[in-house]
Amino acid sequence: MTKHATPLLDQLESGPWPSFVSDIKQEAEARAKNPKGLDYQIPADCPDDLLGVLELSYAEKETHWKHGGIVGVFGYGGGVIGRYCDQPEKFPGVAHFHTMRVAQPAGKYYNTKFLRDLCDIWDLRGSGITNMHGSTGDIVLLGTQTPQLEEIFYELTHNMNVDLGGSGSNLRTPEACLGQSRCEYACYNAQDLCYQLTQDYQDELHRPAFPYKFKFKFDACPNGCVCAMARSDFAVVGTWKDDIKIDQEKVKAYAGGVLKPNAGAHSGRDWGKFDLQKEVVERCPSRCMKWDGSKLSIVTAGCVRCMHCINTMPQALRIGDERGASILVGAKAPVVDGSQMGSLLVPFVKVEPPYDEVKEVIEKIWDWWMEEGKNRERVGETMKRLSFQKLLEVTDIPASACHVKEPRSNPYIFFKEDEVPGGWSHDLAAYRNRHQR
Amino acid sequence: MAFISSGYNPSKPMENRITDIGPHKYDSYFPPVIKKNFGKWLYHEILEPGVLVHVAKSGDRVYSIRVGGTRTMSVTHIRELCEIADKHCGGHLRFTTRNNIEFMVTDKSAMKALRDDLNSRKFPGGSFKFPVGGTGAGISNMVHTQGWVHCHTPATDASGPVKCVMDAVFEDFKNMRMPAPVRIALACCINMCGAVHCSDIGLVGIHRKPPMIDHEWADQLCEIPLAVSACPTAAVRPTTVEYKGEKVKSIAIKEDRCMYCGNCYTMCPALPISDGEGDGIAIMVGGKVSNRISMPKFSKVVVGYIPNEPPRWPTLTKMVKHIVEVYAANAEKYERLGDWAERIGWESFFKLTGLEFTHHLIDDFRDPAYYTWRQSTQFKF
Amino acid sequence: MVDKDVVVDFLNSKSGSKTKFYFNDFTALFPNKGPREVKKILTALVNEEVLEFWSSGSTTMYGLKGAGKQSHAEGES
Repeated sequence: MTKHATPLLDQLESGPWPSFVSDIKQEAEARAKNPKGLDYQIPADCPDDLLGVLELSYAEKETHWKHGGIVGVFGYGGGVIGRYCDQPEKFPGVAHFHTMRVAQPAGKYYNTKFLRDLCDIWDLRGSGITNMHGSTGDIVLLGTQTPQLEEIFYELTHNMNVDLGGSGSNLRTPEACLGQSRCEYACYNAQDLCYQLTQDYQDELHRPAFPYKFKFKFDACPNGCVCAMARSDFAVVGTWKDDIKIDQEKVKAYAGGVLKPNAGAHSGRDWGKFDLQKEVVERCPSRCMKWDGSKLSIVTAGCVRCMHCINTMPQALRIGDERGASILVGAKAPVVDGSQMGSLLVPFVKVEPPYDEVKEVIEKIWDWWMEEGKNRERVGETMKRLSFQKLLEVTDIPASACHVKEPRSNPYIFFKEDEVPGGWSHDLAAYRNRHQR
Repeated sequence: MAFISSGYNPSKPMENRITDIGPHKYDSYFPPVIKKNFGKWLYHEILEPGVLVHVAKSGDRVYSIRVGGTRTMSVTHIRELCEIADKHCGGHLRFTTRNNIEFMVTDKSAMKALRDDLNSRKFPGGSFKFPVGGTGAGISNMVHTQGWVHCHTPATDASGPVKCVMDAVFEDFKNMRMPAPVRIALACCINMCGAVHCSDIGLVGIHRKPPMIDHEWADQLCEIPLAVSACPTAAVRPTTVEYKGEKVKSIAIKEDRCMYCGNCYTMCPALPISDGEGDGIAIMVGGKVSNRISMPKFSKVVVGYIPNEPPRWPTLTKMVKHIVEVYAANAEKYERLGDWAERIGWESFFKLTGLEFTHHLIDDFRDPAYYTWRQSTQFKF
Repeated sequence: MVDKDVVVDFLNSKSGSKTKFYFNDFTALFPNKGPREVKKILTALVNEEVLEFWSSGSTTMYGLKGAGKQSHAEGES
């Protein structure tokens, strides 16, 4: 028995994909039954009211939520997002319905004790509805009331030894791919870098003092499973400098059809016999490979490490041994001036604990952006406004051809005064000796 | 309800306060085989859709089964995940960036038992609880935002359209027949808190009307200068209007400058932007984040507006399915959707898909617009 | 004047028109201090319950505790 009739939402219960409506309904039912006899600290029927207000949105095609900025836990500027329903009398269970972001372990491995402990807190003190996970990577606890915020924070920190994540103008909860934990492509320990930087920059994460949000994401290879280059202000993407390691016997096994190409990723269709020349050598974006029918060779100097050949023949080709990462800066979603992809700043950095080399770049960027960034300006926009040269200057990184897709096509070069002999002063008298007026 | 104290003392917030402890360390919950072989993996293979095996230098194998998850998830559902992990996986599991859940075992027969168990569980309404799939050259789970479930500026719902689209492409969640991976994402407004701007198919909620101005409440509910400074295009300004015979402080909006971001509504509840008739969804295609073969690229708008059609969004799902099918039928192996569209030319993309090209699809927003116009006589009739 | 008083006086002087300010608005009050020093002043004021944060979700502002219109409207004061 549900509290509100939901004829529209009910139509989202059919079809094969997991139905969030069925799931919220089962939560509503579980709270109504209350088998553990909990003294629910927010209205027991809030999942019913959540369905009710959502049904209203489905009928009217308009949201019924308002933002609330003041709620939070003491001393933190982020981690809690205030939400109020604009139909509180009809749906009192969700009249106040704030979100809490909880810091996830990098790579999102859990044991069931951790998850159950979290569920127990959220059952008693929240709506029982979560997001696993939010877009930035946090565990999102969806819907509680103001008096519960400090209680939940206290139980998270004291009983579960876990902190809130970020929101607002601060360092957002960093995230990494699963890295070396289960991937042969990982060029560095992305999870460890993520964890260490998250710990080292807790103050930046909880106490906002940036012009706007700032995101770290860590991809251990150029395949980019956590979308670092597209979604983070500071993207560390694994790469290597030396030769791709080739096992020629295994290459032959792929060419001869003994091994399944692409690790089986294309097995849903008959694409015909695997053609190493056509599918690997001719697909190589920098044309740095040759296959003579028995031997595959790669000109390392020509390789751009796109991962295609390795992805296609993972048992035959491996990432090199001189490993590290490239750092790309300034990605963001479209508002205001359009989307930006991260721009390459550091072509190669060794990524080794305690990660001082990486931190040095981060802190130089922060110092600059905190001084120069305008309110609500992502670092990518500051870069556009003040130039890539300025970013190179403040990070002490020499300009190289790696930094551009192509050189500038206008000659409006802003030379610095000390780059021109004699600076910007002229000897007018000498000039007039050579030229009349 | 009796208030149950956690031990927190509201009159002394700093007493016994624990702060700045961050997340748990990433390796706290590794399954033993992951812990043992960390950094020592040799290769992997997708045995069947949704089932991967990773082989370590030690010879150890780990079988991972990937299941689709709803991002919006109840504690009852999470406890069922825990029950499965306890039963089959020694109490370990992980989540992926795309809201999937992965269960890991070290034995092939255990893998089969786990897979069959996962595929057997359904909600009473008939949908799968834990469908196995989402690997390789198929369609993985959609990433998405909050929508009408929790957000104050959405132009569409998120969980609902995602459910409908995933229902429509479900066969390809459980198959790997695509030329390359197809990543679909949905953001419920242009702010894209779940950035979808680099997806093979990105669905974006769009408003088409500037906010309403509630003159009666503006000065009572809002600090007008905050709403003014929140506007990214300087379209919002303070003003005095006559309301019911009295002069009141309020807000004016230069309508043709508004980009419908809703930032002013965040600051000022007297400027609601939600509009049932105006709001809807745009479809963007051809983005990617991987560096494989071609460089990462942004998605491009190919359908400027589709009205919201809850509860099943039939026009949207039909168009997404259609784009997927035309791509699957025409692209070469390894070509991502954007690579294919670029090879054949966008004019051919519109011809092949039959999508209507309208003036809305020509960029007119600031500097980057020019670089998308055609400065050449090379084009296809 | 003590640094903290500079912040509080600034907020009081503006309280007629707006009650919440971006971090950058405070750095302007201390031309001889870097952002990190200014942050320390603000953090101390937050911990003393003089200031509080206001968050739009994507950005954060600082204001005097309890000031402003919305907290009262939603019954949070």
